[in-house]
Amino acid sequence: MPTIERLLHDTALGDEHAFARLYDEAAPRVYGLCLRVLRDPAQAEEVAQEVLVEIWRTATRFDSRRGSAGSWISTIAHRRAVDRVRSVQASGDRERRTAYSEAPGYDAVAEAAAVRLEHRQVRRCLQTLTELQRQAVTLAYYGGHTYRQVASLLDTAVPTVKSRIRDGLLKLRDCLEVAR
Amino acid sequence: MSADVHALIGPWAVDAVDDAERALVERHLAECASCAQEAAELREAVWRLSDVTVADPPPRLRDRVLFEASRTRQESPAPEPPAPRLRRHRGMPRMRLALAAGALAAVMAVVGGIVTWSVMRSQAPTESDRIAAVLGADDAEVGTVAAEGGGDVTVVRSDALDQAVVVVSGLAAIGEDRAYQVWMVDPDGQVSAGVMAPGERSATMLVTGLGDAELVGVTQEPAGGSETPTLPMVAGVPLDA
Repeated sequence: MPTIERLLHDTALGDEHAFARLYDEAAPRVYGLCLRVLRDPAQAEEVAQEVLVEIWRTATRFDSRRGSAGSWISTIAHRRAVDRVRSVQASGDRERRTAYSEAPGYDAVAEAAAVRLEHRQVRRCLQTLTELQRQAVTLAYYGGHTYRQVASLLDTAVPTVKSRIRDGLLKLRDCLEVAR
Repeated sequence: MSADVHALIGPWAVDAVDDAERALVERHLAECASCAQEAAELREAVWRLSDVTVADPPPRLRDRVLFEASRTRQESPAPEPPAPRLRRHRGMPRMRLALAAGALAAVMAVVGGIVTWSVMRSQAPTESDRIAAVLGADDAEVGTVAAEGGGDVTVVRSDALDQAVVVVSGLAAIGEDRAYQVWMVDPDGQVSAGVMAPGERSATMLVTGLGDAELVGVTQEPAGGSETPTLPMVAGVPLDA
């Protein structure tokens, strides 16, 4: 099985067969992340389609020296999903969105992770964070909230949330041993 | 302002910033190699959070995406990155020269008893001359940073010679199973510039080919060095100071 990097490289050369295989590798991650952030299967499907076509379109811009293919793909997916959240908020649907936001807590994440052996590492690493760090990171990432919204949800000062997100991510990085 | 921007790197890595802040952070990252490195590392950690949200999309999505792709033109590759970012003689040259003179004297004092790097021994016959040439270059620029745990790291570089002298002096004591390692950091990552002898706390080395390196970093590693630096750095000397 070629690596995702390889498939992405071949995709950049216009190889549609490679892109189909890249789809099979990446689509569950892209769709799952959109679903988590948007909490709406129809919207998640729509955004996932945009993301996957964007990956085809911009595969030529991927530079493996700047990061992994997994990171590149997930970053596009997360950003698109968050953009959708923000545009929904901007169009006056804020209350519905906020009602969702209370729900996606760490417990749901931990539970989902528990059933998948390969997710143990992330779950374990999330547990190395302090409560506030973990809440700040997961509300921002899975909830698609801005740091100001996270501060308001957690009733915590904005600068504190900024630094807890960073501290939490640094801990996560060390735990996942991704230091380059 | 830059401190404010820097504090946004964490939120930026999880897309918890607004569009204006995102632009601000990304402009900052383009100008600060060590920040870009931290940001890249955070991103590598962040995307793993999506390990736990993997879910199978509806089967119809595959055909749609492949069809859509088949009629979408791919972008042309990104233009070549801009020229190397090492800055040359900008602003306050007089002050820099004064600083350089003082720092050079300090470097000379250290270099007086040169400790040769194990990795550099093969070049030993000419190394001292080459170091002296960098220190004496007309365009030599000096930067010094105090290291975590004691000691300091000084970098003298000459763009004209495309060389730099790195002087590591009196770092914190480490065991014989550990070694300090020097890295050249550029916007794309870093390359090892050399590993000091196990337990060694001071050394001088010559680096040739600066490219677009923006930072000389020192880390503590297992004896013999590592493929990738172990963070945090013991010291980082910006090359564009």
